[in-house]
Amino acid sequence: MLRLIQTEFLKLRRRKILCLMLLASLIMPLFALLYFNYMGGTGVDPARFYKWSAFSYTPFIILPVVLGVLCAMLMFEENQHDMLKQLWIVPISKMGYFFSKFFVVLIYAISFMLITGVASVVLSMLCASVAFDWGSVLYLLQKCLEIGVLTAFAMLPILAIAASQKGYVLPICITLVYAFLGFSLMTINMYLHPLSSISVIIMRNEDIPGVIPTQAINVPLAFFCICGWGIASVVFANISLARRR
Amino acid sequence: MNDFAIETKQLTKIYGAQTAVSTVNLHVRKGRIYGLLGRNGAGKTTIMKMILGLTSITSGEINVFGRNIKGQEKQVYPRIGAIIETPGFYPNLTGTENLEIFAKLRGTAAPNAVENAMEVVGLPYRDKKLFGKYSLGMKQRLGIANAILHDPELLILDEPTNGLDPIGIAEMREFIRHLSVERGKTILISSHILSEIYLLADDIGIIDHGVLLEESSMSELKKKNGRYVQLQVSDVSKATLILEREFHTNDYSVQDDHTLRLYDTALHMGEINKALVMQDVTVISSALCNDTLEDYFKSITGGEGIA
Repeated sequence: MLRLIQTEFLKLRRRKILCLMLLASLIMPLFALLYFNYMGGTGVDPARFYKWSAFSYTPFIILPVVLGVLCAMLMFEENQHDMLKQLWIVPISKMGYFFSKFFVVLIYAISFMLITGVASVVLSMLCASVAFDWGSVLYLLQKCLEIGVLTAFAMLPILAIAASQKGYVLPICITLVYAFLGFSLMTINMYLHPLSSISVIIMRNEDIPGVIPTQAINVPLAFFCICGWGIASVVFANISLARRR
Repeated sequence: MNDFAIETKQLTKIYGAQTAVSTVNLHVRKGRIYGLLGRNGAGKTTIMKMILGLTSITSGEINVFGRNIKGQEKQVYPRIGAIIETPGFYPNLTGTENLEIFAKLRGTAAPNAVENAMEVVGLPYRDKKLFGKYSLGMKQRLGIANAILHDPELLILDEPTNGLDPIGIAEMREFIRHLSVERGKTILISSHILSEIYLLADDIGIIDHGVLLEESSMSELKKKNGRYVQLQVSDVSKATLILEREFHTNDYSVQDDHTLRLYDTALHMGEINKALVMQDVTVISSALCNDTLEDYFKSITGGEGIA
């Protein structure tokens, strides 16, 4: 398995698009900087800045969409160049192959959120109205790490769909629907969709300023939702990869 | 002790209503080059894919190194190197980087395995050229390098000379021959180019429409398709009697009531004609013939030729 993971990273050499996609992690921190500069004032709680820069659209829309595109790219590459048959006769296991891709997604999601976190801290320091507080910085980085790890797991259904498809159009379309569905389902039932379940876990202490959950917080149920979808995705990926040979 | 590196028993593959491979019994002997010859779409690649587990088997059995491959993939596949169709690699990586990935995946122990494989196929090691910029011939060479990277006992090569120029084809032939003779590899090679198989293979299997029509050693096949004298006579049984009695040969075959083939071409034709005529056998025609493998292929596949 370790060999598979190592080779997955070797395959990504010279893929500039992956670095470009990481730039999306700066969108919300930059937006927050503009917003707070415009609002003016002094001594603003940094948690309010971080709410905008790291806890709003980044985990709900930007990160899932970026990860969905990444999932499609990771799976499409080998299909496009007819490489799977060479890998199967090595031989490598279908599930080993799937999980090695997942590991790349996981590392990428964590990197993405850590960049968001670091950018949020740096930009909040550039913003004259926001106060600096070490406690808030550690809180932000902890939450970014949580979001990165959990979102990677929440993207397992998309990775499984990408594994079952030869093209990339359908997985990317489904990613868009999936991300917006997760966002919109938050007001209806937070325990149906893995992405909305992540928000339950993130705001379990109800310590993100200005964010009030619409339903009672139930962390085990949120984990159950993410795990349920994850297990179903792994089973689906196993079946579809076995069929595709 | 099983002498076959690959043995298939009643191997069949059906796609929907189409039978791609029908009850094929293939016997690839260890240390030999087995040429699977057939037109495009005859079922060659499907057989190779079934051996490598890239497509499921509808019915039948495949034994590799004497053991049924089903459930033994992890033990058997590391002993096989293969190219199926056009080999694909990562276009954003160099040839060396691509092979390093496969070496890592296979757990290839030899530290210079990649360098050796590149050298054997004549590709530069640590070249900066990306695979995406390789010519078709270079891609094919890299495919071969990948197949021999882990020093496998058995090579399965599906049309390995595709896309190579004439010099490249000759080099590849020499290389495959070297692998078999010098390094004792067993090689199953498919081609739709008859001359390729003729020049390379020790054993040959002719496949058409999914059916293995003939399987024999190349020497036997050459013997079958050598020079002979075709005689058309009024009475074949009387003619054969004369050949046996007066010319002491039984190296002939009877084709029909009026035609026989005499393979012993050292005999004097004038004497034979004279003897036949003297004993009331009318000689309608006599001709020295030289059948090629292509003629043979045509005859057993029902008249259609091959490249």
